[in-house]
Amino acid sequence: MITRSFVMPLRNCALLLATLALGACRFVDNRQTSQRGYRGTGMQVVYPQKATTHAFQTTRLPSVPPPAGESPPGPLPWKNVQVLNDVSVAEFNRTMISMAEWVAGPGNCQYCHNVANFASDTANNGKPLYTKVVARRMLQMTRNINGNWQAHVANTGVTCYTCHRGKPLPNGLWFYSTETQYLRHYLDSTGARVVTHQIAPSNQNRSSVKQTEWTYALMISQSRSLGVNCTYCHNTRQFASWEQAPPQRVKAYEGIQMLRDVNRNYLAPLAPVFPAVRLGAKGDAPKAQCLTCHNGVYKPLYGAQMVKNYPALWGRADWDGQPFPGIHGPAKPDSTKIIAAGKAPTAGQPAAAVAPAPAKPAVAPIAKPARGAQEHQ
Amino acid sequence: MLEYQNLFTRVQVRTAPDPGLPIDEGLGMRIGKGGYGVLGYWLGKLGDAQLGPIYLGLEGAASLFFGFIAFEIIGLNMWRSVGWSPVQFVRQLPWLSLEPPSPEYGLHIPPLDKGGWYLIAGFFLTAAIFLWWIRTYKRAKALKMGMHLCWAFGSAIFLYMAFFLQPVLVGSYSEMVPFGLFPHLDWTSAFSIRYGNLYYNPFHALSIVFLYGSALLWAMHGATILAVSRYGGEREIEQITDRGTASERAQLFWRWCMGWNATMESIHRWAWWFAVLTTFTGGIGILLTGTVVDNWYLWAVKHHVAPEYPKQNTLTAQDLERLRGRYAGRLKGGYPTFTVPQTATPMDAPAGAVPAEAAVAAPAVAAPAVGAPAVAAPGVAAPAAQVPASKPPVAPAPNPAAPATPAGRKP
Repeated sequence: MITRSFVMPLRNCALLLATLALGACRFVDNRQTSQRGYRGTGMQVVYPQKATTHAFQTTRLPSVPPPAGESPPGPLPWKNVQVLNDVSVAEFNRTMISMAEWVAGPGNCQYCHNVANFASDTANNGKPLYTKVVARRMLQMTRNINGNWQAHVANTGVTCYTCHRGKPLPNGLWFYSTETQYLRHYLDSTGARVVTHQIAPSNQNRSSVKQTEWTYALMISQSRSLGVNCTYCHNTRQFASWEQAPPQRVKAYEGIQMLRDVNRNYLAPLAPVFPAVRLGAKGDAPKAQCLTCHNGVYKPLYGAQMVKNYPALWGRADWDGQPFPGIHGPAKPDSTKIIAAGKAPTAGQPAAAVAPAPAKPAVAPIAKPARGAQEHQ
Repeated sequence: MLEYQNLFTRVQVRTAPDPGLPIDEGLGMRIGKGGYGVLGYWLGKLGDAQLGPIYLGLEGAASLFFGFIAFEIIGLNMWRSVGWSPVQFVRQLPWLSLEPPSPEYGLHIPPLDKGGWYLIAGFFLTAAIFLWWIRTYKRAKALKMGMHLCWAFGSAIFLYMAFFLQPVLVGSYSEMVPFGLFPHLDWTSAFSIRYGNLYYNPFHALSIVFLYGSALLWAMHGATILAVSRYGGEREIEQITDRGTASERAQLFWRWCMGWNATMESIHRWAWWFAVLTTFTGGIGILLTGTVVDNWYLWAVKHHVAPEYPKQNTLTAQDLERLRGRYAGRLKGGYPTFTVPQTATPMDAPAGAVPAEAAVAAPAVAAPAVGAPAVAAPGVAAPAAQVPASKPPVAPAPNPAAPATPAGRKP
């Protein structure tokens, strides 16, 4: 009896401890699942409830300046305004103020501008203001994304803040290296498909298991960038199937195409503009990936429609304050002109730069890979 | 009360070491005299803790030597991959790998640092394994045992060799398994994805059945013998021919529980065949993959193994064609071997740097044709945007090109 009375409290203690331990597991893990496909197929999105709630509640959007009115009659007083020259003066100023807050900190005009001469692309000592040149190109990129990539950004659109989040350097920038090789899919490599669409082997698909791992790395980077698991975009019983996949996979595909456009036509070509400190080890410009905009969230800023308040980023002069229905016209061509100190070759500026854009953007010829290029047909 | 030499026994065996049967010393010598050693007490918890004497012989010694060479090649290559840093070697060891050659080498011998070391290490490892198999065969012969052990080991070697033969059959050493802790697991995952989900491979399914079945049989058999060891059940070999109350009780238990029973002998045949068939069916499954079937999921759909579920995406044929894109394997540069990209050339390089066919070649392809990043920029400018050859002294134009709608995307 003595033994028994000694053992019983011990056993109770053990039971209590086990209960507490299990409860702690539940408390720490706190995972929620949400069914997103046919029952029993495991099509679930898994997310940590507490962390997601916390991230959602702590996401702050910059305050929106009051809407701008029409410009006074008469010609617009532009000097060296190459992109935002289709909006009113007030809208222009409002956009500039917001951009400073989004990228460089509130009121930090001098991050991009020579405050003695706001129109200049160079500092007083004649050095180029690379930040201004880059910002101009980024404005064109933003308009291109909002205007031409609705397949990915829909009416939510992007602003500078979507990526920059108040910092000069967005998250997730990448450079060439052995570690980031799979990210070159977002730039100069294509063909992530490795699974055969027929039963029997053939010479059509000679994809290697190594290439599969490459695609795998790409996919995991997307999964982490969006904070979602594989079944957000795939029915994992057959990764290759588009019809069994949720529609988000098509969105993601358009995102990859968009990233290629962004990286190849906007970010990578900026390499000669950046100072060496901003370049990678191979002398390449910083490039974007999914993480750059998404920051670990399935929709950047949880889908907040920031850009509807900034018509200048849509490239529409006739903005009426209504939620944006979408731009169906073409993007503005790159009209960037550099006012360099001294002898800028203005006469020889690209003809395409001033030519009106075609009604529908023709499929732009893209350079066939030159020597050393990574891919061929 | 009797004490039994089961797992965690309280009996510590301490006798004169058993030297074993006499052996033909022309083939090799025993090493050491055998004893209980410093680990003896803890090994004694598992039963008779005698260590040695060890017999190596020619094959054993050669096997260890070859295995050591393979181990060294793998380890040194891993160490080299972190720039000979001891700290990084330890930190990153689980992720380090000696990778097989890249796909572009096919079945040709690559340079040493591009997979050559991998093939050499693989050769020595395979040689070591075969020598060890010969050793199991010869030792069994020397002891006048049956050949059950070496055939079972042979089944495992068959699976191991399947990972060499399948790459040969599909024509590329690149498909072999990398040497590394996590890398070989990553390979497993990638192999399954590449071939349309290996879970739909019926031989993979059989292999899993036998694998889990082996574990189940182990648990059932071990538990049964332990449970009847108080009736002498641990003397199961004697009870094969001289069935005692332990056998009777164990067999009655299983007849009561599941309707039928194995015997003291047949349970070992069950276990042996389950273990052997695990690797044997697995090896067949590997050999059929990529040679006979390239997408196991579609195979399962054809044979009504995989159920159909409602579609989640309604896509037209054109959509599908666009979305499917191109196979990575068709692209020469699509192999994940890192090549240093072209260094960025200035945006305003002479227009002659752009190939003349740049403007006409690209739109013909389905997906975006891709150039190295540096040359892509002048390329998109098209003939209309001839950039002046005279280079501005500062701040060259970031991009003289119109923002191009990527080819292949519907405008």
